Amino acid sequence: MTPLGAPPPPAWHGQAYSTKRFGVSITDCDSEPVQTPGCVQAHGALLVLRPADLTIAQVSENSTDVLGMAPAALLGRPLQDLVGPVHAGLLLAMLQQPEIERNPGYAFTHTAAHSGVALDASVHTVDGVAVLEFEATGRDASAQRDFYALIRRSVAQLQRATTLSALGDIACAEIRALTGLDRVMVYRFHDDGHGEVVSERRRDDLPSWLGLHYPAQDIPEPAREVFRQTWIRPLRDVDGGLAELLPLTHPDSGRPLTMTHCALRGPSVMYTEYLRNMGVAATLTMSIRRGDRLWGLIAGHHYSAPFQMPYDLRAACELLAQIVSLQHAAAEEREHAAYRQRIDSVQQQLVTQAAQEGGLEALLDGPPTLLDGLDTGGTALYHRDRWWCAGNTPPVQALDALRDWLSARPEMLLRDRPLFATDQLSAHYPPGQTFADVASGLLAIALSRSAKNLVLWFRPETTQTVHWGGNPHDKPSVVGPHGARLTPRASFALFVESVRGRSKPWLAVELEAALRFRMLMMELIIARADQLAGLNADLERSNDELDAFAYVASHDLKEPLRGIHKYAHQLAENMAQLGDADHQRLAGLTRLTLRMDSLLDSLLHFSRVGRVALQLEDCEVGEIVDEALEMVAARRGDKPAAIDVPRPLPSVRADRVRLREVYTNLLSNALKYNQQATTVIELGWLAPHETAARTAQAAHTSDKGWPAAASGQTVFYVRDNGIGIEPRHIDQVFKMFRRLHGRDDFGGGTGAGLTIVKKLVERLGGEVWIESTPGQGSCFYFSMPADPGLGTAP
Amino acid sequence: MTELPEVILVEDSDEDADTVQQAILRCSTPVRLHRVLTGDACLALLQQPRAALPALVLMDLNIPGMDGRETLRIIKRDPSLCTIPVVVVSTSANPRDMDHCYRAGANAYHLKPVRYTEHRDAMVSVLRYWLDLVLAHPGRGVQA
Repeated sequence: MTPLGAPPPPAWHGQAYSTKRFGVSITDCDSEPVQTPGCVQAHGALLVLRPADLTIAQVSENSTDVLGMAPAALLGRPLQDLVGPVHAGLLLAMLQQPEIERNPGYAFTHTAAHSGVALDASVHTVDGVAVLEFEATGRDASAQRDFYALIRRSVAQLQRATTLSALGDIACAEIRALTGLDRVMVYRFHDDGHGEVVSERRRDDLPSWLGLHYPAQDIPEPAREVFRQTWIRPLRDVDGGLAELLPLTHPDSGRPLTMTHCALRGPSVMYTEYLRNMGVAATLTMSIRRGDRLWGLIAGHHYSAPFQMPYDLRAACELLAQIVSLQHAAAEEREHAAYRQRIDSVQQQLVTQAAQEGGLEALLDGPPTLLDGLDTGGTALYHRDRWWCAGNTPPVQALDALRDWLSARPEMLLRDRPLFATDQLSAHYPPGQTFADVASGLLAIALSRSAKNLVLWFRPETTQTVHWGGNPHDKPSVVGPHGARLTPRASFALFVESVRGRSKPWLAVELEAALRFRMLMMELIIARADQLAGLNADLERSNDELDAFAYVASHDLKEPLRGIHKYAHQLAENMAQLGDADHQRLAGLTRLTLRMDSLLDSLLHFSRVGRVALQLEDCEVGEIVDEALEMVAARRGDKPAAIDVPRPLPSVRADRVRLREVYTNLLSNALKYNQQATTVIELGWLAPHETAARTAQAAHTSDKGWPAAASGQTVFYVRDNGIGIEPRHIDQVFKMFRRLHGRDDFGGGTGAGLTIVKKLVERLGGEVWIESTPGQGSCFYFSMPADPGLGTAP
Repeated sequence: MTELPEVILVEDSDEDADTVQQAILRCSTPVRLHRVLTGDACLALLQQPRAALPALVLMDLNIPGMDGRETLRIIKRDPSLCTIPVVVVSTSANPRDMDHCYRAGANAYHLKPVRYTEHRDAMVSVLRYWLDLVLAHPGRGVQA
């Protein structure tokens, strides 16, 4: 039995590996010895030579078919016996050149004596042996192509690419034009290893694979390692078969041949079956490298037939792949510069907009919005104690919890770089699993030192955004002749798990842009703070001026008034000889000074109503009404008045003194403006659910008297059977010093009472309105919000 | 002969000064009334060498030059003057003014009603209270 944890020994344990013999036994792609397959593609032949004397040490078993000589006739013999002294001499000279180590070069063209087929021979050295590969040239003397000219044009185009996708598109187009392959793609490896088709050129009748993602297992690690070492990998015919080397290991060293650089290297059974599943007949694959890193592949597929890829064509493609790799960093830099510029321009525009409109709504109202800058699925901004969201974001409660967590992260507290970015949030923050679909990726910056105010950008889970090339739901998995085991598609489920909870990673250019946005926001916030400080100063100044005015009104205007009153009084007292008319005039003078005095008092009181700080507490409205009734008791005089409270008044959160003042004013008016034999006043209220229903009814009947804002608030009312108010006067009663009656009718008054009521109620966050029928009575309503003191009118 | 109790009235309005005069006539206690128009004049008067401190200062707030609040503050900060009762008589019912005066050490704060008789009667009450009912500070020499 195999001990737990140790892999089982391979089927070829103790023997040399050959794909032809053991390839089907492979259970794990990552253990396949793809660099020493022991086999070549059967359309060509391979000889292993001893560099010193060019004697043949190994030969592919198909030498009879390709070269016209049986392996037995070649092994141990000098190469000269096969290709003649001229070519052998040429080869010997080439072997002196260091360039051919692990780098095949064209040696000569040999015409097979038995078939007359022209064969290109290329040679390279590896591990101290020379490897000579023979392939049919595929050249037609009448259609000699000038690869140099073609490539020169391609190179010029590649150099002009300003984005990675443009570079990929040009590469695909040029290689397809050069080779005539049915499909050429650029296949990019993401950081987690999975691949994506990012550019494509194809025969018009073929379905597009652009944007499809493929599991990492589709290109196993040993295959990737080959592409780190070699630029090009042709497979002439998926069904072409394999020819094994004879002997399988080198007779001198006993080692298998390293075939990494061989154009004829035999493909793994897994690979050919994978291609067959896709209907591919031949492939040409090139690597795209960034330094030592394998960035991706240029993959050519041919469907119709085996594809002849002679040496010179391969060399041209190889050169293009190298140029794509060289231009890659430059194109990416240009692309990032353009992206950076786009983000910056959007962000600048947003901040300018916000500065002009004076609110952060501008960041999310658009266009543009915060979503147009960074490539993101959603964004949320926490500022002034609330969230501002756009796009797909976790719910607000989740955002609150996330904010708490973030504000404790040391990264968020860095002075110059308060930034946290991850493409796998749930790995750091387990509660993130619940919203991994919209926010597997998180980029956060702090707007304040304590990280209380933040900007968050979210990226959805990769599985939410990508199109899976291998998705078993899209097409049924094809079971090959060797069983499901050898079907790469089986790895798909595993793969989906491996990318669950992950998003597309954040680019350095995006992190830098986020930090620049932070700077802009900080400037904006500071500018806003300055502006607010300025406004506050203005407000304070105008408050002070109002105070000064009130002072003038109270003191300076009253002083002469007092003097006038006094002289009128003294005149009346001392001048007994005055006639009745003069006495009346003096009495009038006295009365006018007193009236002026109460007007000034009302004005003063009104100016203070808005500015005195509210003292919010839970108030029993019933108690407040009792106090108010007591205060207006004097006015009730001898006239009978019935006060009706149909159901106990509730408790509300309000300023007790101010609420009482509302009631004293309303009650005093109700008592004053009444000509019935018995004054009847009803004090009642409507609970939030009742006001909601009442508001809906008002909307239904187009009753404009009932305010929509009252819905869901507690509404109180004071209803009387008094004189009522003409509809055309209803708007006037709230105006300062506006009276509807003679100044001495109904007990007089300054006409400030309802103005003060309105201001008090608005101060408490509510509204006042009236329903009235002249001659029958009025009903004064006022609403109290659940959260008083947030009213707009100060 | 005992000196009559001295009352200093800081008041720029002749009408209001006359009302105080009328009030004094209705009081049983005869007083010497010193009327000054400004705060500066009030302080100058208080700083003159004198046998006894005034029995009362009636202070209007809105007076020319140094206003009543500032004059009050200076009197109450001066160890030799701070025992003098200073009663503010003002038209302002502004809580800010009232707060300011009481914090500065005002002994009382009264409003001037517009109605003449009310004003005069209020002044009579103030004078009677401070001149007849209240035991004045025992005077200089005691604090030493």
